[in-house]
Amino acid sequence: MTDHPRRSLIAVVDDDRRVLESLEILLESADCDVRLFSSPTALLESGCLREIDGLISDVGMPVMDGFDLVRVVHEARPGLPVFLVTGRPDLLNRPRRDGPGHYRLFKKPFNGQDLLTAVADALRGPGPPRS
Amino acid sequence: MQPTATIVSEEQELILSTLAPGPAQRRLAFAVVLGMLIVFGLITAGPLASLRTRPITAFVPAYATAMFVCDSITAILLFAQFSILRSRATLVIASGYVFSALILIPWILTFPGVFAPTGLIGGLQSTSWLYFFQHAGFPLFVVGYALSREAGFTTRIWQGSMRAAVALSVAWTTALVSAVAFLCTAGEALLPRVVLNSVHLSPLWPYAGAPVAAMSVVALIVLWRRHRSTLDLWLMVVMCLYTCEIPLSYYPMPFRFSIGWYSVRAFGFLSSTLVLIVLLFEIKTLYAKLLGAMLAQRREREARLMTGDAVAATIAHEVNQPLTSMVASADAGFRFLDRSVPNLERAKEAFQRIAEDGHRAGEVVGSIRAIFKTDARTRTPLDVNEIIREALALERTDLRKHRILVEAEWSAHLPEVRGDRVQVQQVLLNLITNAIHAMAAEDEPRVLCLKSEAHQGDGVIVSVADTGAGISARDLDRIFTPLFTTKSDGMGMGLSICRAIIEAHYGRLSVAPNTPRGAIFQFTLHA
Repeated sequence: MTDHPRRSLIAVVDDDRRVLESLEILLESADCDVRLFSSPTALLESGCLREIDGLISDVGMPVMDGFDLVRVVHEARPGLPVFLVTGRPDLLNRPRRDGPGHYRLFKKPFNGQDLLTAVADALRGPGPPRS
Repeated sequence: MQPTATIVSEEQELILSTLAPGPAQRRLAFAVVLGMLIVFGLITAGPLASLRTRPITAFVPAYATAMFVCDSITAILLFAQFSILRSRATLVIASGYVFSALILIPWILTFPGVFAPTGLIGGLQSTSWLYFFQHAGFPLFVVGYALSREAGFTTRIWQGSMRAAVALSVAWTTALVSAVAFLCTAGEALLPRVVLNSVHLSPLWPYAGAPVAAMSVVALIVLWRRHRSTLDLWLMVVMCLYTCEIPLSYYPMPFRFSIGWYSVRAFGFLSSTLVLIVLLFEIKTLYAKLLGAMLAQRREREARLMTGDAVAATIAHEVNQPLTSMVASADAGFRFLDRSVPNLERAKEAFQRIAEDGHRAGEVVGSIRAIFKTDARTRTPLDVNEIIREALALERTDLRKHRILVEAEWSAHLPEVRGDRVQVQQVLLNLITNAIHAMAAEDEPRVLCLKSEAHQGDGVIVSVADTGAGISARDLDRIFTPLFTTKSDGMGMGLSICRAIIEAHYGRLSVAPNTPRGAIFQFTLHA
């Protein structure tokens, strides 16, 4: 990603401050710019939805969960790369009204390198990789 | 919680025969009696006296059928109540309603103009005499009810089978009605002439009617003197209606199908349905309470099973958060070090973060331990047998569903042990639930055996034995370790939490094979 002309801006949403900060340092180690939000609402109200290149969000959160957030975000930014992380994969099977949306799911604790690779691949876009 | 006491008081609270009537019920009963007196006054002295009514022969069988059905249903409901309470008084009043229903059969058969111009059986006098016997007989049952209740309502006299008691009562009542019917039909010629023809009553009628009405008055007085329950209250109203019926049949117009006669039928129908309505209302209330209690019990059971997967999932989540943070920070740290020019400051920051998360995970584990640590405040003297009884009651539905036979062998003289009542119960519930799961897939007989014994003088040993698949020798060592499970949907936290609880009580939780198959889990508690 170091060859990317502009530093990517990634938004991270998690209601756990320490997870949030660890993701910040992980993304910074890959030379990304990071914006942290403690809730989906905080992200939606910040107005930076237009600027971000990718979103990493927790699934289990009060009021609005990660799936709700994906739905709202994709209405405003279709095709925005989204990565959901969850500590309760057992809860993913419950039926949901809305469709699955486009996202990749990571189980906590996830391998940091795998997440960074996935983010980098997604930011490069669906076309042939740049040289 | 004192479940035994609760059950007794609720039983008293829910059964009509014991429940004291509230002010609203008293007011309603008073209003019924008042309304009846107004109708009585309007007909005997007031403007309705001259009202002419037509004879409607079809009214008679319709009336008799309705009365028969109402009285029979009332009798069935009261017999059902008897089978719960085993009170002789309830049996007597139920028989009274059987009597009241059965006597309608000869009454309708003798009624002139219904099945035959002069009645299908008996003679001219039969109908009125059957009416008198009914109105003298039922108050006698009421008196019998009041007096046998006085002898001690809660003394459960009948020790034999409920069915036999009910059958015997019905048989006796049927015999009594048959005898009365025989007297009034075959012996019709011997009875005083109380009617002149198929419509008009004779001047002799009041002389026979007065003592019959007196029976109702006696019953009313007996009930008044010792009335306590809702059933008593409404039987008093019924006796008031009975008392009014007799004069209303004769005054002001001594013939059938008069306004008075129709009113008497209306009174009769009202008196027949009053207790039925009250019983149905009681059943409705009871049903609502029963449903509420069942739902509450299910909720309670689910809440107590919190030691199982729900707590395990919460713990998993709490531990998972710092782990996630640690792994992410470690990856970040390596990346900062792996750069062509290592960023030592940021790497240090990442490693600092890992250390902090490690401490946080430690705190989570410590707080989990604290949940199961019992201190002096929560340790109370335990009635181990009571806890076993309660746990079995909570699991009753599942035990029945899987057709599991429960054997309980509890020692009556156990040394007093102390502990956290809720936690000990959670252990027991977990062990019983495991036993049920172990046996569910096995062939019958499925036997769950719970035993309490004294242990080393001051302790108690509780064992839960099942006839399930048992535990293989290989698994015996691992069974109490967290995350070990043989259930497809389990998290394997149940037994390790059980052991943590028992060890916090300075006891031991162990497992041994049962013979010929299954497993025995045992735990000890101390003073």
